[in-house]
Amino acid sequence: MDRSAEFFSTVESLRSRAQPHIAPDTRRLISPIEQQQSCGLAPGLNAATARPKSEFALMASLINRDILTTAGKLQKLARRKYLSLDELIFIIKQDIAKLNKQIAQLQLYLREQGSKSGISTGKQVQEHNINVVLMLQSRLAAQTSAFKDVLELRTENMKATKDRREQFMFTTHQQADAFPRDSPLYNFDRRPSSSTNPPRDVLSLDLSTPFQNLQQQQQQEQVQLADSSNQYLESRSTAIESIESTLQELGGIFQQLAQMVSEQRDMVQRIDANTEDIEANVTGAQTELLKYYKYVSSNRWLMVKVFAVLVSSAVTMSVLS
Amino acid sequence: MKLFAIFVVRNKTQPAKALAEAKDVSSFGFFQRSSVGEFMTFMAQTIAERTKAGQRQSIEESNYIGHVYARTEGVAGVVITDKDYPTRVAFGLLNKVLDEFTTRYPNIDRLVPSNSPSSSATEQVCSYPELQQYLVTYQDPKQADTIMMVQRELDETKIILHKTIESVLERGEKMESLVERSGELSTQSRIFYKTAKKQNACCVIS
Repeated sequence: MDRSAEFFSTVESLRSRAQPHIAPDTRRLISPIEQQQSCGLAPGLNAATARPKSEFALMASLINRDILTTAGKLQKLARRKYLSLDELIFIIKQDIAKLNKQIAQLQLYLREQGSKSGISTGKQVQEHNINVVLMLQSRLAAQTSAFKDVLELRTENMKATKDRREQFMFTTHQQADAFPRDSPLYNFDRRPSSSTNPPRDVLSLDLSTPFQNLQQQQQQEQVQLADSSNQYLESRSTAIESIESTLQELGGIFQQLAQMVSEQRDMVQRIDANTEDIEANVTGAQTELLKYYKYVSSNRWLMVKVFAVLVSSAVTMSVLS
Repeated sequence: MKLFAIFVVRNKTQPAKALAEAKDVSSFGFFQRSSVGEFMTFMAQTIAERTKAGQRQSIEESNYIGHVYARTEGVAGVVITDKDYPTRVAFGLLNKVLDEFTTRYPNIDRLVPSNSPSSSATEQVCSYPELQQYLVTYQDPKQADTIMMVQRELDETKIILHKTIESVLERGEKMESLVERSGELSTQSRIFYKTAKKQNACCVIS
């Protein structure tokens, strides 16, 4: 409801962007004529250089005009809310694709021209042409981004109006219209013509009850027509839902895995502590054994000495007596 | 699950005319091929005529199913498969083919005027060689459809994860045994240490 202000601001920005289109267009048309008049040196050379230049200028001006018309269509798109949006969107997309191709052709033409004539077209002229092509490309890019903005605004607005209508409307109308209306909101790039009809039906239902029977008939017919495409869309949505559930299961499995691994972390810590104990005990025991060995070996050495002394003293005593 | 043919038919004017086609009749016997091909073309034209713009239909005929999707520009795409081919993949293929076709030849009315009797003119104008390629790639719907590929990869991932969890459980058991063994070793090494200490403490062995 309040989004119309945003729409108008987009339109204003588009309008301000569209106006500077006109001035460089005329400037570019004038410049080859001026250049023709200025370089009056060799008429043959003049004609040769003037012709490719004006061709280039013609192509550039054509592209500019197309960009302008696309901008105009975009404005119309922004203003007229629900009526022939899908066709307009498609037309604008095609225009943008065509403009892309034309700019690419222009670039190729420019390169061919550069390789063919070589010296005669000055370096500045080449640079100017390259700049012109770059400017056209940037303008086209700006147009496409504005187009995308308008489309996003449109979806938001449609969602807002849908919410509003759901608050105030009866449930029976909701059930009949819910599915066909979902498709333009969710599948942007599909253009089933049945999608444009239900909103209009809903509007007319809101306003005047005498037309109710006729509208209901139309509605039923459209429900039948939309049924086969509904089936396809439903199958797609079920497939995607199954993918979603698989993903959820996968998430759960990963969580279980993480939990198990974290439980095993405690066991790892116990093992670590045990092995450290073992190491300490074993090194301590080794030291003790070393000490003992030293003790034992040192004792024997002492004993040997003492025994030798005793023996020698016993021998001397026996010798003396 | 076989895909037999893909057609792009113009159904804005009656009788409908096939603009581009790709057929795979290799599964039929040699003498039946031409008749089967003609039958499929006729079937495609008939179904395209009977489908309104913006409508999708699946029509069963003997042991083939024809899936048709008509667009608002007046061109319709028809795909003829056998009964096992998933409908969703067929319509996905139709969407893709028709999008490409309409971007390539947007002004079909200008290129092919409705009162041109010869079909050779249309075949020259709307050449669409990628149709044959699509026919080949979409023979196996699991490979071509993105949703099915995603589903398949997810299933494979799930299997791998199940195996991982089993191996984690085994690891848990091995850790248990390791814990026990390290505990026993620890007590035994403590006894060893005490005995060694006792050796050092009291008796002197001569």
